[in-house]
Amino acid sequence: MFLSAKGNDSEVAQVASDTLNSLMPMSGIHGRTGGQGLAADVRGQLADQGWYTLAVHESGDAGAYTVVDAALFYREVGRIAGPVDILNQCLAAAALHGTRAGDDVAAGKFSVALAVEGGSQRGATLRVIGGGERPDIVILVTRDRVRVLQTAATPTQPIAPLDAVTSMRWLQSDKVEVLRESDDARLWRFGQVATAAMLAGIAEATLDMIVQYAKVRETFGRPIGSYQAVRHPCADMALRVEAARCQLWYAAAALDERHADADIHLRAAKHLNNVAAVRNADSNIQLHGGIGVTDEHYAHFYLKHALLLSRLFGSSRTVLQQLVPNS
Amino acid sequence: MNLKYSDDEIAFRATAREWLSANVPSTPRPAPGEAAVEFDRAWQRTLHRGGWAGVNWPKEYGGLGLSDLKQVIWYEELAKARAPHHINSSYVALMHAGPTLIACGTPEQKAFHLPKILSGEALWCQGFSEPNAGSDLAALKTRGDVRDDCIVVNGSKIWTSGAQHSDYQELLVRTEPGSSRHRGLSWMICDMRTPGIEIRPIRTMLGDEHVSMVFYNDVCIPRSNVVGEIGKGWSVAMSTLSFERGIGFIGDQLDLAERVDRAIELARHTRLECGRIAIEDDGIRERLAAIKAETLAIKAMTLAQICENSRAATPGPKGSLLKLIVTNTHKALCELMAEILGWSFLEYDGSRENHPWTYDYLWSWVFSISGGTSEIQREITADRLLGLPRAR
Repeated sequence: MFLSAKGNDSEVAQVASDTLNSLMPMSGIHGRTGGQGLAADVRGQLADQGWYTLAVHESGDAGAYTVVDAALFYREVGRIAGPVDILNQCLAAAALHGTRAGDDVAAGKFSVALAVEGGSQRGATLRVIGGGERPDIVILVTRDRVRVLQTAATPTQPIAPLDAVTSMRWLQSDKVEVLRESDDARLWRFGQVATAAMLAGIAEATLDMIVQYAKVRETFGRPIGSYQAVRHPCADMALRVEAARCQLWYAAAALDERHADADIHLRAAKHLNNVAAVRNADSNIQLHGGIGVTDEHYAHFYLKHALLLSRLFGSSRTVLQQLVPNS
Repeated sequence: MNLKYSDDEIAFRATAREWLSANVPSTPRPAPGEAAVEFDRAWQRTLHRGGWAGVNWPKEYGGLGLSDLKQVIWYEELAKARAPHHINSSYVALMHAGPTLIACGTPEQKAFHLPKILSGEALWCQGFSEPNAGSDLAALKTRGDVRDDCIVVNGSKIWTSGAQHSDYQELLVRTEPGSSRHRGLSWMICDMRTPGIEIRPIRTMLGDEHVSMVFYNDVCIPRSNVVGEIGKGWSVAMSTLSFERGIGFIGDQLDLAERVDRAIELARHTRLECGRIAIEDDGIRERLAAIKAETLAIKAMTLAQICENSRAATPGPKGSLLKLIVTNTHKALCELMAEILGWSFLEYDGSRENHPWTYDYLWSWVFSISGGTSEIQREITADRLLGLPRAR
């Protein structure tokens, strides 16, 4: 029995953190906005390290990454408000595994957008997120269906996104080719783990941000971190992080060990991380005062990204209704 | 990371489950009072005879010396078997006084007191808090005048749970005149039958008198009852912190998970005022589910803390986070039950047996205030986990 990120698994987290911080440091976040998605060269460099194969094999197969590995990786992605595109790549590489297209996705040659169910307002138009201006592949993942589409450079229309680090577009789906269709529930679970983990990273990063600031910023002659009006909300943020993160590790380990109740734990983890990220991002802005509201400061990026991630792969309303079913 | 139990741990769970199913009392605990105390003593005798007394005590002192994980298993099985709640008349003796004696007592003190605690023969209460020294315990003023053969105590203590029924008390007094704060305190064993002790029960909002004020009027305590050195009582009082290893609330944590499931079951059979079955109301289901998610996280946090403790010399500050989430979630569950039960929640005769959810709801404040208030837990978190500049 071991439930901590400081064990033998920690190497994945360290490598991921080093890579992501060198490829997309927070200092460059303003340059990552505006719908570009994942720049092609960065996409390629992440591919070179094999990160898009995280979901390709079933956990437990020889040489496969575990669900815990995925959780540790995506937590690091969340810490730097990394784009959803990174998840899209993994999902498509797994869904297309065994095909030439799958190899190309894993190698970082294609950009991948995620179609979100219920987002379409115009019949054959899909709302897609990530993938940049011209996504090569679109993947739709629900609890009981996976569908991969080749867009063949179908034009898209931009949507101005609240979450500036995530591209959002309308795509005409009547002219696309279906590459693969399946009912693999594993990819839905993978998406749920990955988004929960990214949210965990956001919950942590926003706590770290305000704690650092509170130690140095002074008012009324003292650091703001010496006032209980700041200390106690920070303590509440720390509690959210601890509860949501521990439940994430539990859910990931339960999936790796094929526990019968793994889905219950995963839903709880998604809900707790939804709340932890949004509440912590909220408190982080509030406790920074005026500068927290500026565009220049990073705080708002975390909030807006958390709002988007909390809607993907199980909003709280959805997973809570599943946790306590009506019958 | 992994969630696997060893074969030994699996076997242990089976043993515990089997013993509990054969030995858990079939009658419920009586309402607080003499009968409840006798019930608690009898249960402790049963545990002792069955070899289950002192699960976290070292074996050399008559306990089981269970690993943290086995303690988790034991408390899970207690909850599943609907065994008597572990916070009973024996709690202070088993979880606080006994461990203090183990850490700091003389061989004579240990030999005399420890077996009586394990068997349920001796019940203890705690004499720490005072009317003007609660969160700020170091402000305590009850004084002990050190004489040749005894220490003469004058002053008062408050919030003493079970004082009326206790045989002994852990008593922290100021023995060095002119000393302040943590210096000059002494920890001693107070025999509750000593002349000069007056116990005044305090009626609480629950309708019971489970706490008291205790007044000391020239109470003579033998010097042989001092634990540790005279003047070094603060470090004795703190010694239990490292002993507990931060999992002191483990029983409550796991108990909560069982109660959520019972609440969900109740919601399936209870009609709201509008006539609908509670579980069919989306708002109620979501709130139940959110609470369930928190209880799952509590268990995950408990397991994570065990791992971190096993690698550190002293327990970390995350025990504060556990107390916060347990007490918050407990209250949220009780508030939700108030909505589900409607008018029947507002019937209350002071008995936990008759009105369990209302009683538990009123208990929420005992929970979030005693054993370190939620505000203090946040202070500890801010200081020790986050390293923020001190407020005090």
